[in-house]
Amino acid sequence: MATNPMHQFNVRKIGPEINLGGVDLSFTNSSLFMLISAAAICIFLFLGTKEKKIIPSKIQLLAEISYNFVAKMISDTAGTKAKPYFPFIFSLFMFVLLCNMVGMLPYSFTVTSHIIVTLVMALFIFLSVTVIGFLKHGFKYLSIFVPKGVPIVLLPLITIIEIISYLSRPVSLSVRLFANMMAGHTMLKVFGGFVISLGIVGGWLPLTFSVALTGLEILVAFLQAYVFAILTCIYLNDALNLHH
Amino acid sequence: MENNKNFKTRLEIEKNKLSKDSGEKDENNSGFFMGNAFKLGTEMVSAVLVGTIIGFILDSWFGTKPWLIIFFFFVGAAAGILNVIRAAKKMQQK
Repeated sequence: MATNPMHQFNVRKIGPEINLGGVDLSFTNSSLFMLISAAAICIFLFLGTKEKKIIPSKIQLLAEISYNFVAKMISDTAGTKAKPYFPFIFSLFMFVLLCNMVGMLPYSFTVTSHIIVTLVMALFIFLSVTVIGFLKHGFKYLSIFVPKGVPIVLLPLITIIEIISYLSRPVSLSVRLFANMMAGHTMLKVFGGFVISLGIVGGWLPLTFSVALTGLEILVAFLQAYVFAILTCIYLNDALNLHH
Repeated sequence: MENNKNFKTRLEIEKNKLSKDSGEKDENNSGFFMGNAFKLGTEMVSAVLVGTIIGFILDSWFGTKPWLIIFFFFVGAAAGILNVIRAAKKMQQK
């Protein structure tokens, strides 16, 4: 096994190379773990909704808790107008959560530790929120770039600042998730390496740290999925209810 | 049919629960503070990054190196501070 802490982030091809018009579409370990996460969500929700008992079974209770959690998050941050977007935010939350959690299993690959994955998700959210804003309000949506009560001299500068602030949303959304996952997993690997190199005499201290860090990483995995979903709700709120 | 009736009762119970605890919020979770702190950091950095990239692109369009990149760097920093203030205000509201 490689002791290089970055080795775990390598993307490898699985099976034959597929090349469509110059674009490499080969099946990789990244795609495999995305499929595993998506399949795990489907199986979990299928089992959770199969039997509808008054006194719920454990898995039914879990499915209900996850539904309630997201429903409450949407109604708290974006109000009742955002109810139609529940399926989108729920799938987004569950996918990010499961990708992070599957990444915590030994020998697995963390899909969300690659910026291209998180950036595509963030850009999709950013573009769809912008389209929703324009569909709901027409060109009045542009008024979010012009805050009220600003002197006319400062208005051009403030508008540029507002536009940059708006454009920075997908960057901050994707970098946050990617940096958290990548930093955490690298740190785990480094401490794991210390345990091996210090041996049976001095390896106990880094081992303790490793155990503690694993707990912390599970917390971070949940927290980042939560932050990703709640920021989507906040952006959606800005697009649906025009006021600043 | 039995299944369907059970489902309706269960739905009622959950709906009641949901409307009941929408008023109160549990805030004694230290994990959320850590998430918030990291959120503010990335908010600041990403605005500076976006500002600088815009300045770089405009510079190579108009051939005015290096003035626009300097200007947009500072505008990006201002946007970052604006982002942080907004995020902090949102946290205080909760």
